[in-house]
Amino acid sequence: MWQRSANLAQAESLELNKAPSLRKRFILAGSGIIAVIALIAINLVFNYSQRLADLSYDRLLLSALWQMDENILVEEGRLSIDIPWSAFSTLAQANEDRIFYRVESSVEGYITGNKALISHPPTPSELGKPHFYNHPFSGELIRIVWLERAVTKANIQGTVTILLGQTRLSRETMAASITTRAVQVILLIAVVAIVLIILGSHLVLNPLHRIEELLEERQPGDLTPITLDTPKETYQLKIALNHFMARLHKNLEQLENYTAESAHQLRTPLASLKALAENARDQTTPERQKQALEQIVQQSETLSDTVTMLLNQAVVSHRLQTQKLVPLDLVGLIKQSCMDNAVTALRQGVHLSFESDTGQLMILGEAFSLQQMLNNLVDNAVRYSASKALTTQQAKNVEIHIQQQTNRVLLSVIDFGDGIADEEKKRVFERFYRANYEISGSGVGLAMVKEITDRHQASITISDTYPTGATIGVDFPLYMHQESDL
Amino acid sequence: MNKLKLLILASVTLLSAALLANPVIYQYDKGLDQGATFFQEQRTLNIYSTVDLDAFEPLLKAFVERHPSTKLAYHDVNSLELYHKVIAEKDRPKASLIVSSAMDLQLKLVNEGLAKTYQSSITQALPDMAKWRSQIFAFSLEPVVMLVNRNQFPGGVLPKNRLDLLQIMRHHSQAFQGKIGTYDIRKSGVGYLLASQDARQADATWGRMIEAFGSHQVKTYCCTSAMIDEVAAGDLLLGYNLVGSYANKRALGDPRLTMIMPSDYTLLMMRTALIPKLAPNAEDAGIFIDFLLSEKAQSLMLKENLLFPISDVSKAINLSEKRSHPTRIIELDQQLLVGRDHAKQSRFIRSWESALELSELE
Repeated sequence: MWQRSANLAQAESLELNKAPSLRKRFILAGSGIIAVIALIAINLVFNYSQRLADLSYDRLLLSALWQMDENILVEEGRLSIDIPWSAFSTLAQANEDRIFYRVESSVEGYITGNKALISHPPTPSELGKPHFYNHPFSGELIRIVWLERAVTKANIQGTVTILLGQTRLSRETMAASITTRAVQVILLIAVVAIVLIILGSHLVLNPLHRIEELLEERQPGDLTPITLDTPKETYQLKIALNHFMARLHKNLEQLENYTAESAHQLRTPLASLKALAENARDQTTPERQKQALEQIVQQSETLSDTVTMLLNQAVVSHRLQTQKLVPLDLVGLIKQSCMDNAVTALRQGVHLSFESDTGQLMILGEAFSLQQMLNNLVDNAVRYSASKALTTQQAKNVEIHIQQQTNRVLLSVIDFGDGIADEEKKRVFERFYRANYEISGSGVGLAMVKEITDRHQASITISDTYPTGATIGVDFPLYMHQESDL
Repeated sequence: MNKLKLLILASVTLLSAALLANPVIYQYDKGLDQGATFFQEQRTLNIYSTVDLDAFEPLLKAFVERHPSTKLAYHDVNSLELYHKVIAEKDRPKASLIVSSAMDLQLKLVNEGLAKTYQSSITQALPDMAKWRSQIFAFSLEPVVMLVNRNQFPGGVLPKNRLDLLQIMRHHSQAFQGKIGTYDIRKSGVGYLLASQDARQADATWGRMIEAFGSHQVKTYCCTSAMIDEVAAGDLLLGYNLVGSYANKRALGDPRLTMIMPSDYTLLMMRTALIPKLAPNAEDAGIFIDFLLSEKAQSLMLKENLLFPISDVSKAINLSEKRSHPTRIIELDQQLLVGRDHAKQSRFIRSWESALELSELE
């Protein structure tokens, strides 16, 4: 026993190792999302810092450009430029960046600057409007401001173009310093968030651990509901566990009941068997002895029937709990049941008659237990009629009706026997209740019938038949075809 | 150490053209007991420089003494010529180091992307205004001065500043005829730099100065040393815009000469060194730059009155401040490019020529 439980523990720990961890998933998913957000943020910061650096240094470039533009002059009838020293002192604020420029006019071409710096803005240009763009020159990318404007000096027609460029060293340095700081902050936030997720996962999953511990600590037979205070999210789990335990509890109870009932059902016939056997032993004449033995045989048959009933009960109970309900034809089942019981009924002088509106009525059900239920109902009706059948003509009939009422299927088993007293109607479905122990049943008990109808979401009613007798009605929900996926 | 001896292998010729063809070679003397270095392969460091050999020689000797495995080949070149030479050789440079006092041309070479980046703890320690992009380094800071022949100067009172000079020239107009010398800004890179900086600092004064120079038949020169010689000889009364270190050294040894740092403002210029981008033996060039900036070389400059060390920037400024001389340091930054703007330069030279009543160079 100890060895087995040790093996079990080992297997459990092995399974635990293999099992996916909720917490790990939670942390991984959280970290993944944070990583994605952080990457997006870093990307945005990267673009933003580039833009910001360009914006700042473009202002210097533009200011220098305007200073150059102001100093375009006409010299001996030709366009020229007198670049002010201050223009480049502005640019010298980007202290490591090289400067390139070129001034040209539409009439004279090159005026001054780098002869090799020939470039045009990538976007459509507009007169008098400065354009900024990057352009590869002298082995690196340079930022150029480009301006073409009409010349307003006397006697000179055409346009003058100024290109002023600087290398991107200062811009990159500035962008990098912004990016570095921002990335540091983003990473810090991401790390803090992940730490919080790890801590949070502890807190979130804690109620589960508490439920787990509580269950582990329980006595084996303790199936009372969990009363632990849990958060909303684990409330459903708690409820489900409690429901499950309630069902388990009920099953155990049923099992106990069966055992008690079985013992109860078997004791009486066994006692009478014993009495009959003693009687047979004490008889002196062979005729009387033979008669006693005959009684023993009869009693054994009755006992056998009881055992069959108990077995059926057990099977039905088992099937009700384990089998899924499937669509089946109730009419077919009733016909089968009538055929099974017709001969036994006739032997007792009772006629079975079956009436149906249609050839087929589908319900969701479990065939074996329904069959048992029908057998029981028919058998009961026949038996309660039989005693009266000898005297009354009407009592010789047991009628079985089935009809469809919109989405319900109504089954009625009608007998014209003595009927059931009103105070008994409620009690017949109780366990251990039997109106007459002398009459042995071949099916399951009425308590079992109630259980079967409950399982099929059907209601069962007992009413009086006019003038005498009992009518048992069972009301099933009709199986709708569109629910075939069940 | 007593066995160490430095040899000048090639003879010094005076003509710069001849100098170009025949560089002066400095190398460590391989004595008999110097077996270790004897078998060592010697690397050659070619230097193109505008610094007069007289001024640079002690530094070159000190260098080879410290770095016996390096041989120095010193080419003395005029600053303008040097600039064009570096551009012409940009794809296959012969020189590993370019030393020039024409800061604007040097900076322009760097701006064109023709210089190699060099960084060491020594260059990092240089103040920002004495380097740019870690590609050009200043190793000396020199005042731009006037030099007068005290004995022959009319009136007996020496000018303290430019306005004084203008006044004296007006009073003794006859004596100054043909007796003033300055750089020919068309031929000398340094000359152009100094003139353009004068124009930038005090445009009005500059205008009056060149008008006065023009009306007194100013003589133009290629180099500071030539002007000093003529002032010393009495052929000139005054030399204007001379490189301070040369003038200072000569004035110290010649009682006839007086160096004047103009009290209205004194320009301070730098001598700079750079390594061409594709230079051979750039490693040694870096070592040479570090050497020029080293304590040893800098103190040698001071001691020998060769050049004014860059490490004494603050000292140099204090020096002038004590005499209440405002100084204008020509900083190593992008503004220097303005002076070398194609249009500005030709306009400036044209106005200079017309003011000085010189015919245009062909």
